[in-house]
Amino acid sequence: MNEQIIWIVLKRLRTPFLVIIITFAISILGLVLIPGTDDLGNPYQMTFFDAFYFVTYMASTIGFGEAPYTFNYPQRMWVSFTIYFTVIGWFYGIGAIVALIQDEGLRRALNLNIFRNQVQNLHEPFYIILGYNGVTKTIINKINGVDYRVVVLDKSTQKIEELILENFYPHVPASVGDGTNHQMLKMAGIHQKNCKGIISLFENDMVNANIATVCMLLNKKIDIIIKATSPEQVAHFKNMGLEHVQNPFDIISKRIYFGLTSPHIWLLEMWMYGHILKLKGRDRFPQGRYIIYGSGRMGKAIAEGLKRAGIEYVIKDFDSKKYIKQKESTIFGDEEDMQKLISLGVKESACIIAATKNDILNLTILNSAKQLNPDIFTMGRENSLDDLNIFKAAKINKIYVVEKILADATYNFISRPLVDLFIREARKQTEEWAEVIVNILNNITGMNPKYFETQLNDENAYALSLELNKGESVTLANLRRSRENKEEMLQIVFLLLKRGDEVYLMPDSQMNLQIDDELLIVADEEIYEDFEYIINNIYELNYVLDRDEKNHLSYFKPWGKNGKTNA
Amino acid sequence: MNMHKIISGLFFTLAMTLNFGFFYGDPTQLIEHSAYELFAAIIVNLIATVLKLGDRTQLGAVLLATSIVADIQLIASATVWAFAEYVASSIGTEAATAIVSLSGGALLANAVSVILFVGDTIKSKR
Repeated sequence: MNEQIIWIVLKRLRTPFLVIIITFAISILGLVLIPGTDDLGNPYQMTFFDAFYFVTYMASTIGFGEAPYTFNYPQRMWVSFTIYFTVIGWFYGIGAIVALIQDEGLRRALNLNIFRNQVQNLHEPFYIILGYNGVTKTIINKINGVDYRVVVLDKSTQKIEELILENFYPHVPASVGDGTNHQMLKMAGIHQKNCKGIISLFENDMVNANIATVCMLLNKKIDIIIKATSPEQVAHFKNMGLEHVQNPFDIISKRIYFGLTSPHIWLLEMWMYGHILKLKGRDRFPQGRYIIYGSGRMGKAIAEGLKRAGIEYVIKDFDSKKYIKQKESTIFGDEEDMQKLISLGVKESACIIAATKNDILNLTILNSAKQLNPDIFTMGRENSLDDLNIFKAAKINKIYVVEKILADATYNFISRPLVDLFIREARKQTEEWAEVIVNILNNITGMNPKYFETQLNDENAYALSLELNKGESVTLANLRRSRENKEEMLQIVFLLLKRGDEVYLMPDSQMNLQIDDELLIVADEEIYEDFEYIINNIYELNYVLDRDEKNHLSYFKPWGKNGKTNA
Repeated sequence: MNMHKIISGLFFTLAMTLNFGFFYGDPTQLIEHSAYELFAAIIVNLIATVLKLGDRTQLGAVLLATSIVADIQLIASATVWAFAEYVASSIGTEAATAIVSLSGGALLANAVSVILFVGDTIKSKR
């Protein structure tokens, strides 16, 4: 690309250079040919050097005066012609160079070049994000610099300028470019070894499908995280071999299903997304008749979830665009609308879900329903994060922010793989199991515990990996002791253990650990810090493992050959 | 037929012929070598160079390189001349030979340009 810039510049400079050379040549030749007079009145011929010197300073309008001798009239007549001649040529040349610097094409080439260099200089693992918007911004904020670096491509210059104004740290290389263009993808580093994957969460499924196909062809090894909003599209992507298809409506549908049938599984999932680990009365989904307003992708997905849960529901077709056109308003709730709601049975229903594409319509539908039936449970779809506050103020029971769900799910998948795994595994379990787990967690770690992921290797667990490499057996129960008093237990729960492809939910405390096991740990921050001390510090580990500390010290005594000491 | 080809062909050949005109003659006798011819050779060479600027083909790049070589040699020749005349204030045999032989080097570069140019034309005739 560097080369290309030089070629563009050189090609554009051809004409100005030609103009300058020719005007100079003519002026110099004229001066050499015209006979001059020296200060004594003798005839004199200017040499090429004199002429070159004079024209050089004249053309650039510096003007040192007439040299080497004062000019005679024929010379002056020629010079007055060449002044205009060369100055015009010179100015044209300068003008062309300035125009070149400001040239849009050149600037684009330069920016692309900078972008390519920045991407090549990334040495940490990174994700390529296609399209900059609310969702991807949230993802960038969460993962940039923490777990991964990020590279962004977006079609619109405006979006890229917005991104630059955000001043992400560490820097996020970004460029204007089409995600389906393989040249741009290559420049964004899809072939680089440290490229972990590509995230494409466009509104349009077709665009995502296009991108997925191109990326699959370019690099088979990377993760392709893609959004699909219809079951057919999801099936299509799965057939292509893509594992990580994000369907926000499917997530919502599953949540409603679990919320209705097994609230504790629902609670475990929501806790992973920041809910506190306690079922409050207002969290419970009501039993009874449901109304779904809007039968788009979300409405259908919710209906699917309700059907599986065996709940009675009505789904009302509603085209928000058509409604806005007909009524010339985004406020739902005139006499006709109210009649419609009543005919759908608002007064007898337990819950209404507004799932249209328009946020204000959703809000007003729910408000109208509440007017007719103050006890009704309201759920609303919110498309963008921008007007979250209005929704909160409207006292809607549950708000599904499509953007946020998508961003959280993608973040979990990228940076919290064990959490993602845990949610999937938990969904296969029964409600009783989940209730037991929630009780255990509440008893040991309290109402709002945090969760941590770690892998038992040299880097994260130095002491423990030394121990394991020696062939010693260490169990989870061993690690659960407090480092202050080994008879006491740490308030810590091992929720999940992943060994290769095997997954153990609530692993048995007598299980022997192996190197490279991955653990999902629940604890509060302080306790987790203690735990990290234990697995990293040889002394702490020996203490909780109930080893003789003196025994351990012998490592450092040159005379303690057999490991036994007299001290 | 291609106007650009005609023009650049013209300048490459003209650069070589003018240069030859300057180079031809006893190298010790500067009187046999015209300053006007050197000036013309320099200008024509510069134009030939500029015409090849930004040519991304393989041949274009090589032609650009050879004509830059010729430019350097010819400008060096003119510089030596000006230096000998004004700074050393006399042109001895040594300076005269240097001036002429520098242009001789440029002539070689010009010849290479022309050969490449002709070769390319013959090849594209097929």
